[in-house]
Amino acid sequence: MGLLSIIRKIKRKEKEMRILMVGLDNSGKTTIVLKINGEDTSVISPTLGFNIKTIAYNKYTLNIWDVGGQRTIRSYWRNYFEQTDGLVWVVDSSDLRRLDDCKFELHNLLKEERLSGASLLIFANKQDIQGALSPDEITKVLNLEALDKTRHWKIIGCSAYTGEGLLEGFDWLVQDIASRIYVLD
Amino acid sequence: MEGEEDLSNPIKTLDPASSHPKHTAMLERLSNRKQPFLSRNPDSHPFESTNSFLSRFSQSKHSIDSDLTRCRQSTDPDSKSTLKSDLEAVSISISDLEKLVAENSYFLPSYEVRTCLQTISSLKQSLENVTSEVVPKKKFAFKSKKASSGVVDKTEIENHEIDLEKPSFIVPDLPGFRNMENEVLVKEFKGSEMGEFSISDLNSCEVRLTGCLRAIFIHRLKNCKVYTGPVFGSVLIEEVEGCVFVLASHQIRVHHARASDFYLRVRSRPIIEDCSGVRFAPYCLSYDGIERDLKESNLDEETGNWANVDDFKWLKAVQSPNWEILPESESVGGVIILNSDK
Repeated sequence: MGLLSIIRKIKRKEKEMRILMVGLDNSGKTTIVLKINGEDTSVISPTLGFNIKTIAYNKYTLNIWDVGGQRTIRSYWRNYFEQTDGLVWVVDSSDLRRLDDCKFELHNLLKEERLSGASLLIFANKQDIQGALSPDEITKVLNLEALDKTRHWKIIGCSAYTGEGLLEGFDWLVQDIASRIYVLD
Repeated sequence: MEGEEDLSNPIKTLDPASSHPKHTAMLERLSNRKQPFLSRNPDSHPFESTNSFLSRFSQSKHSIDSDLTRCRQSTDPDSKSTLKSDLEAVSISISDLEKLVAENSYFLPSYEVRTCLQTISSLKQSLENVTSEVVPKKKFAFKSKKASSGVVDKTEIENHEIDLEKPSFIVPDLPGFRNMENEVLVKEFKGSEMGEFSISDLNSCEVRLTGCLRAIFIHRLKNCKVYTGPVFGSVLIEEVEGCVFVLASHQIRVHHARASDFYLRVRSRPIIEDCSGVRFAPYCLSYDGIERDLKESNLDEETGNWANVDDFKWLKAVQSPNWEILPESESVGGVIILNSDK
Protein backbone atom coordinates (compact mmCIF):
# COMPACT_ATOMS: atom_id res chain seq x y z
CA MET A 1 0.00 0.00 0.00
CA GLY A 2 1.42 3.32 -1.02
CA LEU A 3 1.90 6.11 1.43
CA LEU A 4 -0.62 8.15 -0.48
CA SER A 5 -3.36 5.60 -0.04
CA ILE A 6 -2.62 5.30 3.65
CA ILE A 7 -2.90 9.04 4.00
CA ARG A 8 -6.11 9.00 2.02
CA LYS A 9 -7.54 6.34 4.28
CA ILE A 10 -6.70 8.27 7.40
CA LYS A 11 -8.15 11.40 5.94
CA ARG A 12 -11.28 9.63 4.85
CA LYS A 13 -11.84 8.51 8.37
CA GLU A 14 -11.40 11.94 9.84
CA LYS A 15 -12.88 13.88 6.94
CA GLU A 16 -10.11 16.38 7.26
CA MET A 17 -8.89 18.82 4.70
CA ARG A 18 -5.75 20.84 4.87
CA ILE A 19 -6.03 24.25 3.32
CA LEU A 20 -3.18 26.66 2.80
CA MET A 21 -3.88 30.39 2.55
CA VAL A 22 -1.21 32.31 0.71
CA GLY A 23 -0.82 35.57 -1.15
CA LEU A 24 1.03 38.84 -0.90
CA ASP A 25 1.02 40.80 2.33
CA ASN A 26 -1.98 43.06 2.79
CA SER A 27 -4.19 40.85 0.61
CA GLY A 28 -6.53 39.94 3.49
CA LYS A 29 -5.73 36.28 4.23
CA THR A 30 -6.12 36.52 7.99
CA THR A 31 -9.23 38.65 7.67
CA ILE A 32 -10.84 36.05 5.41
CA VAL A 33 -10.10 33.23 7.82
CA LEU A 34 -11.39 35.14 10.84
CA LYS A 35 -14.44 36.36 8.95
CA ILE A 36 -15.43 32.89 7.82
CA ASN A 37 -15.00 31.69 11.37
CA GLY A 38 -17.26 34.46 12.61
CA GLU A 39 -14.58 36.26 14.59
CA ASP A 40 -13.87 39.93 15.07
CA THR A 41 -11.91 41.31 12.13
CA SER A 42 -11.44 44.86 13.33
CA VAL A 43 -8.00 44.39 14.88
CA ILE A 44 -5.71 42.27 12.75
CA SER A 45 -1.98 42.81 12.70
CA PRO A 46 0.09 41.79 9.71
CA THR A 47 0.84 38.12 10.27
CA LEU A 48 4.29 37.50 11.65
CA GLY A 49 4.59 33.74 11.17
CA PHE A 50 1.35 31.85 10.73
CA ASN A 51 -2.06 31.06 12.25
CA ILE A 52 -3.88 27.74 12.23
CA LYS A 53 -7.64 27.58 12.40
CA THR A 54 -9.67 24.42 12.61
CA ILE A 55 -13.14 24.99 11.30
CA ALA A 56 -16.03 22.56 11.01
CA TYR A 57 -17.42 23.13 7.54
CA ASN A 58 -20.43 21.07 6.53
CA LYS A 59 -19.38 17.51 7.34
CA TYR A 60 -15.69 18.26 6.99
CA THR A 61 -13.01 19.57 9.29
CA LEU A 62 -10.92 22.24 7.65
CA ASN A 63 -7.42 22.83 8.91
CA ILE A 64 -6.67 26.26 7.59
CA TRP A 65 -3.06 27.38 7.60
CA ASP A 66 -2.86 31.12 7.23
CA VAL A 67 0.72 32.03 6.43
CA GLY A 68 2.14 35.55 6.54
CA GLY A 69 2.72 37.16 3.17
CA GLN A 70 5.48 39.69 3.88
CA ARG A 71 8.32 39.32 1.45
CA THR A 72 10.78 38.24 4.13
CA ILE A 73 8.70 35.28 5.19
CA ARG A 74 7.45 34.14 1.77
CA SER A 75 10.43 31.81 1.58
CA TYR A 76 8.93 29.90 4.51
CA TRP A 77 5.74 29.10 2.61
CA ARG A 78 7.42 25.94 1.37
CA ASN A 79 7.36 24.56 4.90
CA TYR A 80 3.59 24.31 4.70
CA PHE A 81 3.21 22.64 1.32
CA GLU A 82 3.17 19.03 2.49
CA GLN A 83 -0.22 17.32 2.30
CA THR A 84 -2.02 20.43 1.19
CA ASP A 85 -5.43 19.56 -0.26
CA GLY A 86 -6.53 23.05 -1.12
CA LEU A 87 -4.69 26.23 -1.92
CA VAL A 88 -6.30 29.62 -1.43
CA TRP A 89 -4.51 32.43 -3.20
CA VAL A 90 -5.71 35.81 -2.01
CA VAL A 91 -5.33 38.87 -4.21
CA ASP A 92 -5.77 42.47 -3.13
CA SER A 93 -7.77 43.52 -6.20
CA SER A 94 -7.23 47.17 -5.34
CA ASP A 95 -3.44 46.98 -5.17
CA LEU A 96 -2.93 47.50 -8.88
CA ARG A 97 0.74 48.31 -8.68
CA ARG A 98 1.71 45.00 -7.13
CA LEU A 99 -0.32 42.73 -9.42
CA ASP A 100 2.86 41.85 -11.30
CA ASP A 101 4.45 40.82 -8.05
CA CYS A 102 1.33 38.85 -7.22
CA LYS A 103 1.36 37.06 -10.55
CA PHE A 104 5.02 36.18 -10.23
CA GLU A 105 4.58 34.74 -6.76
CA LEU A 106 1.51 32.74 -7.77
CA HIS A 107 3.07 31.14 -10.82
CA ASN A 108 6.21 30.49 -8.83
CA LEU A 109 4.17 28.75 -6.17
CA LEU A 110 2.30 26.58 -8.65
CA LYS A 111 5.57 25.16 -9.96
CA GLU A 112 5.90 23.40 -6.63
CA GLU A 113 5.45 19.68 -7.12
CA ARG A 114 4.01 19.11 -3.67
CA LEU A 115 1.11 21.38 -4.57
CA SER A 116 0.48 19.88 -7.98
CA GLY A 117 -2.64 18.01 -6.88
CA ALA A 118 -4.11 20.77 -4.74
CA SER A 119 -7.29 22.53 -5.80
CA LEU A 120 -6.69 26.23 -6.29
CA LEU A 121 -9.16 28.89 -5.20
CA ILE A 122 -8.28 32.46 -6.06
CA PHE A 123 -10.03 35.11 -4.02
CA ALA A 124 -10.15 38.47 -5.78
CA ASN A 125 -10.49 40.21 -2.45
CA LYS A 126 -11.46 43.79 -1.57
CA GLN A 127 -14.21 43.99 -4.17
CA ASP A 128 -15.92 46.44 -1.84
CA ILE A 129 -13.23 49.05 -2.55
CA GLN A 130 -13.86 51.52 -5.34
CA GLY A 131 -11.50 50.93 -8.22
CA ALA A 132 -10.81 47.28 -7.40
CA LEU A 133 -10.39 45.07 -10.45
CA SER A 134 -13.14 42.54 -11.17
CA PRO A 135 -12.43 38.79 -11.02
CA ASP A 136 -12.41 38.72 -14.84
CA GLU A 137 -9.80 41.43 -14.97
CA ILE A 138 -7.74 39.68 -12.31
CA THR A 139 -7.96 36.47 -14.39
CA LYS A 140 -6.43 38.31 -17.31
CA VAL A 141 -3.78 40.14 -15.33
CA LEU A 142 -2.66 37.01 -13.52
CA ASN A 143 -2.84 35.04 -16.78
CA LEU A 144 -4.85 32.30 -15.11
CA GLU A 145 -5.98 30.85 -18.42
CA ALA A 146 -2.40 29.70 -18.92
CA LEU A 147 -2.49 27.48 -15.86
CA ASP A 148 -1.82 23.80 -16.26
CA LYS A 149 -4.90 22.12 -17.73
CA THR A 150 -4.90 19.50 -14.99
CA ARG A 151 -5.22 22.10 -12.27
CA HIS A 152 -8.63 22.50 -10.66
CA TRP A 153 -9.00 26.22 -10.13
CA LYS A 154 -11.62 28.89 -9.71
CA ILE A 155 -11.56 32.61 -9.14
CA ILE A 156 -14.17 34.29 -6.99
CA GLY A 157 -14.59 37.95 -6.18
CA CYS A 158 -15.03 38.57 -2.50
CA SER A 159 -14.84 41.07 0.28
CA ALA A 160 -13.39 39.88 3.54
CA TYR A 161 -14.74 43.09 5.01
CA THR A 162 -18.40 42.43 4.15
CA GLY A 163 -18.02 38.65 3.91
CA GLU A 164 -19.43 38.58 0.40
CA GLY A 165 -18.23 35.69 -1.76
CA LEU A 166 -16.34 33.91 1.00
CA LEU A 167 -18.79 31.05 1.46
CA GLU A 168 -19.20 30.63 -2.26
CA GLY A 169 -15.45 30.25 -2.56
CA PHE A 170 -15.05 27.80 0.28
CA ASP A 171 -18.06 25.80 -0.94
CA TRP A 172 -16.39 25.30 -4.27
CA LEU A 173 -13.04 24.46 -2.69
CA VAL A 174 -14.44 21.92 -0.24
CA GLN A 175 -16.59 20.30 -2.93
CA ASP A 176 -13.69 20.06 -5.30
CA ILE A 177 -11.40 18.53 -2.70
CA ALA A 178 -14.10 16.15 -1.53
CA SER A 179 -14.73 14.93 -5.05
CA ARG A 180 -11.05 14.06 -5.33
CA ILE A 181 -10.37 12.57 -1.92
CA TYR A 182 -13.65 11.14 -0.79
CA VAL A 183 -14.81 9.72 -4.08
CA LEU A 184 -15.86 6.48 -2.46
CA ASP A 185 -18.36 8.06 -0.09
CA MET B 1 -17.04 -69.58 3.31
CA GLU B 2 -13.68 -67.90 3.13
CA GLY B 3 -11.90 -71.19 3.02
CA GLU B 4 -13.90 -72.30 0.04
CA GLU B 5 -13.12 -69.20 -1.85
CA ASP B 6 -9.43 -69.49 -1.14
CA LEU B 7 -9.48 -72.94 -2.54
CA SER B 8 -11.31 -72.08 -5.65
CA ASN B 9 -9.23 -68.98 -6.50
CA PRO B 10 -6.14 -70.60 -8.00
CA ILE B 11 -8.22 -72.44 -10.50
CA LYS B 12 -10.34 -69.55 -11.46
CA THR B 13 -7.53 -67.12 -12.14
CA LEU B 14 -6.41 -69.30 -14.93
CA ASP B 15 -9.32 -68.21 -16.94
CA PRO B 16 -10.30 -64.82 -15.57
CA ALA B 17 -12.46 -63.62 -18.40
CA SER B 18 -14.86 -66.43 -18.35
CA SER B 19 -14.67 -67.71 -14.81
CA HIS B 20 -14.70 -64.37 -12.86
CA PRO B 21 -17.30 -61.90 -14.05
CA LYS B 22 -16.29 -59.25 -11.52
CA HIS B 23 -12.71 -59.22 -12.66
CA THR B 24 -13.76 -59.07 -16.28
CA ALA B 25 -15.94 -56.12 -15.66
CA MET B 26 -13.10 -54.38 -13.94
CA LEU B 27 -10.73 -54.99 -16.83
CA GLU B 28 -13.32 -53.77 -19.20
CA ARG B 29 -13.82 -50.62 -17.29
CA LEU B 30 -10.09 -50.03 -17.15
CA SER B 31 -9.67 -50.50 -20.84
CA ASN B 32 -12.64 -48.24 -21.45
CA ARG B 33 -11.11 -45.61 -19.36
CA LYS B 34 -7.86 -45.87 -21.26
CA GLN B 35 -9.60 -45.79 -24.56
CA PRO B 36 -10.27 -42.08 -24.82
CA PHE B 37 -6.62 -41.27 -24.15
CA LEU B 38 -5.45 -43.72 -26.66
CA SER B 39 -7.91 -42.70 -29.26
CA ARG B 40 -7.53 -39.00 -28.63
CA ASN B 41 -3.78 -38.74 -28.54
CA PRO B 42 -2.48 -40.54 -31.50
CA ASP B 43 -5.53 -40.66 -33.69
CA SER B 44 -7.37 -37.41 -34.15
CA HIS B 45 -5.14 -34.43 -33.25
CA PRO B 46 -1.38 -34.72 -33.18
CA PHE B 47 -0.19 -35.70 -36.58
CA GLU B 48 -3.07 -34.47 -38.53
CA SER B 49 -3.25 -31.30 -36.46
CA THR B 50 0.43 -30.57 -36.58
CA ASN B 51 0.32 -30.90 -40.30
CA SER B 52 -2.74 -28.75 -40.68
CA PHE B 53 -1.30 -26.20 -38.31
CA LEU B 54 1.95 -26.07 -40.25
CA SER B 55 0.17 -25.61 -43.51
CA ARG B 56 -2.00 -22.88 -42.05
CA PHE B 57 1.02 -21.22 -40.57
CA SER B 58 2.98 -21.22 -43.80
CA GLN B 59 -0.05 -19.89 -45.67
CA SER B 60 -0.32 -16.90 -43.37
CA LYS B 61 3.40 -16.39 -43.54
CA HIS B 62 3.30 -16.29 -47.32
CA SER B 63 0.46 -13.84 -47.39
CA ILE B 64 2.27 -11.59 -44.91
CA ASP B 65 5.44 -11.86 -46.93
CA SER B 66 3.69 -10.89 -50.10
CA ASP B 67 1.94 -7.99 -48.35
CA LEU B 68 5.27 -6.76 -47.12
CA THR B 69 6.82 -7.00 -50.55
CA ARG B 70 3.91 -5.08 -52.01
CA CYS B 71 4.31 -2.37 -49.40
CA ARG B 72 8.01 -2.13 -50.06
CA GLN B 73 7.56 -1.84 -53.79
CA SER B 74 4.82 0.71 -53.77
CA THR B 75 6.56 3.94 -54.64
CA ASP B 76 3.47 5.70 -55.76
CA PRO B 77 3.14 8.76 -53.53
CA ASP B 78 -0.66 8.63 -53.71
CA SER B 79 -0.68 5.25 -52.01
CA LYS B 80 1.29 6.66 -49.08
CA SER B 81 -1.80 7.27 -47.06
CA THR B 82 -3.06 3.72 -47.49
CA LEU B 83 0.41 2.39 -46.87
CA LYS B 84 0.28 3.09 -43.24
CA SER B 85 -2.96 1.22 -42.74
CA ASP B 86 -1.61 -1.61 -44.89
CA LEU B 87 1.41 -1.91 -42.65
CA GLU B 88 -0.82 -1.84 -39.64
CA ALA B 89 -2.87 -4.66 -41.10
CA VAL B 90 0.33 -6.66 -41.63
CA SER B 91 1.35 -6.02 -38.08
CA ILE B 92 -2.04 -7.26 -36.92
CA SER B 93 -1.79 -10.45 -38.97
CA ILE B 94 1.67 -11.10 -37.57
CA SER B 95 0.38 -10.84 -34.05
CA ASP B 96 -2.56 -13.08 -35.02
CA LEU B 97 -0.07 -15.62 -36.25
CA GLU B 98 1.84 -15.35 -33.03
CA LYS B 99 -1.37 -16.00 -31.14
CA LEU B 100 -2.08 -19.03 -33.28
CA VAL B 101 1.30 -20.51 -32.40
CA ALA B 102 0.75 -19.83 -28.72
CA GLU B 103 -2.70 -21.44 -28.80
CA ASN B 104 -1.45 -24.59 -30.46
CA SER B 105 1.90 -24.85 -28.74
CA TYR B 106 0.57 -27.39 -26.21
CA PHE B 107 0.49 -30.19 -28.73
CA LEU B 108 3.16 -29.04 -31.16
CA PRO B 109 6.54 -30.66 -31.03
CA SER B 110 8.94 -28.24 -29.44
CA TYR B 111 11.00 -28.05 -32.61
CA GLU B 112 8.02 -26.79 -34.57
CA VAL B 113 7.22 -24.22 -31.90
CA ARG B 114 10.75 -22.89 -32.01
CA THR B 115 10.79 -22.69 -35.79
CA CYS B 116 7.46 -20.92 -35.86
CA LEU B 117 8.53 -18.37 -33.30
CA GLN B 118 11.72 -17.73 -35.25
CA THR B 119 9.70 -17.19 -38.39
CA ILE B 120 7.45 -14.75 -36.57
CA SER B 121 10.33 -12.73 -35.19
CA SER B 122 11.90 -12.55 -38.63
CA LEU B 123 8.55 -11.41 -40.02
CA LYS B 124 8.42 -8.71 -37.40
CA GLN B 125 11.92 -7.65 -38.27
CA SER B 126 11.13 -7.37 -41.94
CA LEU B 127 7.96 -5.44 -41.16
CA GLU B 128 10.03 -3.01 -39.19
CA ASN B 129 12.50 -2.72 -42.04
CA VAL B 130 9.78 -2.07 -44.55
CA THR B 131 8.13 0.45 -42.29
CA SER B 132 11.30 2.42 -41.76
CA GLU B 133 12.07 2.18 -45.47
CA VAL B 134 8.75 3.27 -46.82
CA VAL B 135 7.58 5.49 -44.03
CA PRO B 136 10.64 6.89 -42.28
CA LYS B 137 8.59 6.90 -39.15
CA LYS B 138 11.22 7.01 -36.48
CA LYS B 139 13.13 9.88 -37.92
CA PHE B 140 9.95 11.70 -38.63
CA ALA B 141 8.56 11.23 -35.14
CA PHE B 142 11.76 12.40 -33.58
CA LYS B 143 11.86 15.49 -35.70
CA SER B 144 8.24 16.32 -35.10
CA LYS B 145 8.74 15.97 -31.37
CA LYS B 146 11.66 18.31 -31.44
CA ALA B 147 9.77 20.73 -33.56
CA SER B 148 6.75 20.64 -31.27
CA SER B 149 8.85 21.26 -28.18
CA GLY B 150 10.38 24.19 -29.99
CA VAL B 151 6.92 25.50 -30.69
CA VAL B 152 6.04 25.20 -27.03
CA ASP B 153 9.09 27.20 -26.13
CA LYS B 154 8.13 29.82 -28.59
CA THR B 155 4.61 30.13 -27.31
CA GLU B 156 5.95 30.28 -23.81
CA ILE B 157 8.14 33.14 -24.80
CA GLU B 158 5.24 34.78 -26.54
CA ASN B 159 3.07 34.26 -23.50
CA HIS B 160 5.73 35.82 -21.41
CA GLU B 161 5.95 38.79 -23.69
CA ILE B 162 2.21 39.16 -23.62
CA ASP B 163 2.31 38.85 -19.86
CA LEU B 164 4.71 41.69 -19.62
CA GLU B 165 2.58 43.87 -21.82
CA LYS B 166 -0.79 42.91 -20.41
CA PRO B 167 -0.81 44.70 -17.09
CA SER B 168 0.14 48.01 -18.64
CA PHE B 169 -2.86 48.10 -20.92
CA ILE B 170 -5.37 46.56 -18.61
CA VAL B 171 -4.53 48.10 -15.27
CA PRO B 172 -5.93 51.56 -14.87
CA ASP B 173 -4.37 54.11 -12.57
CA LEU B 174 -5.77 54.64 -9.13
CA PRO B 175 -6.79 58.14 -8.23
CA GLY B 176 -3.76 59.80 -6.72
CA PHE B 177 -0.88 62.24 -6.77
CA ARG B 178 2.16 61.26 -8.81
CA ASN B 179 5.32 62.57 -10.41
CA MET B 180 5.55 65.98 -8.78
CA GLU B 181 8.11 68.16 -7.11
CA ASN B 182 7.92 71.03 -4.64
CA GLU B 183 4.14 71.09 -4.48
CA VAL B 184 1.50 71.21 -1.81
CA LEU B 185 -1.11 68.61 -2.75
CA VAL B 186 -4.48 68.79 -1.04
CA LYS B 187 -7.53 66.57 -1.27
CA GLU B 188 -10.63 66.31 0.82
CA PHE B 189 -12.59 63.07 0.86
CA LYS B 190 -16.29 63.22 1.54
CA GLY B 191 -18.17 60.31 3.07
CA SER B 192 -19.57 59.04 -0.22
CA GLU B 193 -16.29 58.60 -2.04
CA MET B 194 -14.52 56.46 0.51
CA GLY B 195 -12.12 54.96 -1.95
CA GLU B 196 -8.46 54.24 -2.26
CA PHE B 197 -5.71 56.68 -3.04
CA SER B 198 -2.24 56.40 -4.44
CA ILE B 199 0.69 58.72 -3.73
CA SER B 200 3.81 58.00 -5.74
CA ASP B 201 7.00 59.45 -7.16
CA LEU B 202 6.98 62.75 -5.31
CA ASN B 203 9.94 64.83 -4.36
CA SER B 204 9.83 67.53 -1.66
CA CYS B 205 6.05 67.72 -1.62
CA GLU B 206 3.51 68.14 1.11
CA VAL B 207 0.37 66.01 0.87
CA ARG B 208 -2.74 66.76 2.91
CA LEU B 209 -5.63 64.30 2.75
CA THR B 210 -8.65 64.97 4.92
CA GLY B 211 -11.75 62.85 5.41
CA CYS B 212 -12.04 59.06 5.48
CA LEU B 213 -10.38 56.68 3.05
CA ARG B 214 -10.42 52.94 2.46
CA ALA B 215 -6.80 52.39 1.53
CA ILE B 216 -3.66 54.33 0.70
CA PHE B 217 -0.71 53.15 -1.37
CA ILE B 218 2.47 55.20 -1.06
CA HIS B 219 5.52 54.59 -3.29
CA ARG B 220 8.84 56.30 -3.88
CA LEU B 221 8.68 59.54 -1.98
CA LYS B 222 11.66 61.67 -1.14
CA ASN B 223 11.72 64.45 1.45
CA CYS B 224 7.96 64.65 1.58
CA LYS B 225 5.42 65.32 4.30
CA VAL B 226 2.22 63.28 4.20
CA TYR B 227 -0.72 64.07 6.48
CA THR B 228 -3.84 61.96 6.21
CA GLY B 229 -7.18 61.53 7.88
CA PRO B 230 -8.28 58.08 9.06
CA VAL B 231 -7.90 55.10 6.73
CA PHE B 232 -10.46 52.40 7.33
CA GLY B 233 -8.43 49.69 5.62
CA SER B 234 -4.69 49.54 5.29
CA VAL B 235 -1.78 51.74 4.35
CA LEU B 236 1.13 50.37 2.35
CA ILE B 237 4.29 52.44 2.20
CA GLU B 238 7.25 51.48 0.01
CA GLU B 239 10.59 53.07 -0.85
CA VAL B 240 10.48 56.34 0.99
CA GLU B 241 13.35 58.42 2.25
CA GLY B 242 13.61 61.47 4.47
CA CYS B 243 9.85 61.74 4.88
CA VAL B 244 7.39 62.54 7.63
CA PHE B 245 4.08 60.66 7.78
CA VAL B 246 1.14 61.42 10.00
CA LEU B 247 -1.32 58.57 9.50
CA ALA B 248 -4.24 56.86 11.19
CA SER B 249 -5.17 53.43 9.89
CA HIS B 250 -6.26 49.92 10.76
CA GLN B 251 -3.10 48.39 9.33
CA ILE B 252 0.21 49.93 8.36
CA ARG B 253 3.02 48.21 6.47
CA VAL B 254 6.28 49.98 5.71
CA HIS B 255 8.79 48.49 3.26
CA HIS B 256 12.18 49.89 2.27
CA ALA B 257 11.97 53.13 4.22
CA ARG B 258 15.01 55.07 5.26
CA ALA B 259 15.38 57.93 7.71
CA SER B 260 11.70 58.71 8.03
CA ASP B 261 9.39 59.57 10.90
CA PHE B 262 5.93 58.03 11.37
CA TYR B 263 3.29 59.60 13.62
CA LEU B 264 0.72 56.85 13.78
CA ARG B 265 -2.54 55.74 15.21
CA VAL B 266 -3.06 52.05 14.39
CA ARG B 267 -5.61 49.46 15.43
CA SER B 268 -3.07 46.69 14.91
CA ARG B 269 0.69 46.43 15.16
CA PRO B 270 2.53 48.39 12.46
CA ILE B 271 5.19 46.44 10.64
CA ILE B 272 8.42 47.37 8.92
CA GLU B 273 10.48 45.32 6.50
CA ASP B 274 13.85 46.26 5.00
CA CYS B 275 13.84 49.59 6.80
CA SER B 276 16.49 51.56 8.61
CA GLY B 277 16.51 54.71 10.68
CA VAL B 278 12.74 54.89 10.98
CA ARG B 279 11.18 56.46 14.07
CA PHE B 280 7.69 56.23 15.50
CA ALA B 281 5.48 58.60 17.48
CA PRO B 282 1.77 58.98 18.25
CA TYR B 283 -0.66 60.51 15.75
CA CYS B 284 -0.87 64.27 16.00
CA LEU B 285 -3.03 65.55 13.19
CA SER B 286 -5.99 67.81 13.64
CA TYR B 287 -8.40 69.47 11.25
CA ASP B 288 -11.96 70.56 11.46
CA GLY B 289 -14.08 67.42 11.85
CA ILE B 290 -11.26 64.94 12.46
CA GLU B 291 -12.92 63.65 15.64
CA ARG B 292 -15.99 62.64 13.67
CA ASP B 293 -13.90 61.03 10.93
CA LEU B 294 -11.83 59.09 13.45
CA LYS B 295 -14.95 57.86 15.18
CA GLU B 296 -16.51 56.84 11.89
CA SER B 297 -13.40 54.85 11.02
CA ASN B 298 -13.18 53.22 14.42
CA LEU B 299 -9.94 55.01 15.09
CA ASP B 300 -11.02 57.40 17.79
CA GLU B 301 -9.28 55.40 20.48
CA GLU B 302 -5.55 55.63 21.08
CA THR B 303 -4.37 52.05 21.32
CA GLY B 304 -0.72 52.79 21.87
CA ASN B 305 0.08 50.40 19.03
CA TRP B 306 2.15 53.08 17.31
CA ALA B 307 5.04 51.87 19.49
CA ASN B 308 4.44 48.12 18.97
CA VAL B 309 6.39 47.87 15.75
CA ASP B 310 7.19 44.44 14.30
CA ASP B 311 10.34 44.33 12.22
CA PHE B 312 10.19 41.41 9.81
CA LYS B 313 13.91 41.74 9.31
CA TRP B 314 14.60 41.40 12.99
CA LEU B 315 12.83 38.35 14.38
CA LYS B 316 14.53 38.49 17.76
CA ALA B 317 13.44 39.36 21.24
CA VAL B 318 15.83 42.27 21.59
CA GLN B 319 14.96 45.67 20.16
CA SER B 320 15.49 45.98 16.43
CA PRO B 321 18.26 48.40 15.44
CA ASN B 322 16.18 49.47 12.45
CA TRP B 323 13.60 51.56 14.29
CA GLU B 324 13.18 53.56 17.47
CA ILE B 325 10.68 55.68 19.32
CA LEU B 326 10.95 59.29 18.35
CA PRO B 327 12.17 61.34 21.32
CA GLU B 328 9.56 63.88 22.35
CA SER B 329 12.06 66.69 22.06
CA GLU B 330 12.35 66.02 18.33
CA SER B 331 8.64 65.59 17.71
CA VAL B 332 6.83 68.06 15.51
CA GLY B 333 4.33 68.34 18.35
CA GLY B 334 1.18 68.73 16.32
CA VAL B 335 0.05 69.30 12.77
CA ILE B 336 -3.00 71.40 12.15
CA ILE B 337 -4.63 71.60 8.75
CA LEU B 338 -6.72 74.74 8.69
CA ASN B 339 -9.88 74.98 6.62
CA SER B 340 -8.23 77.60 4.50
CA ASP B 341 -5.50 75.12 3.63
CA LYS B 342 -7.90 72.48 2.33
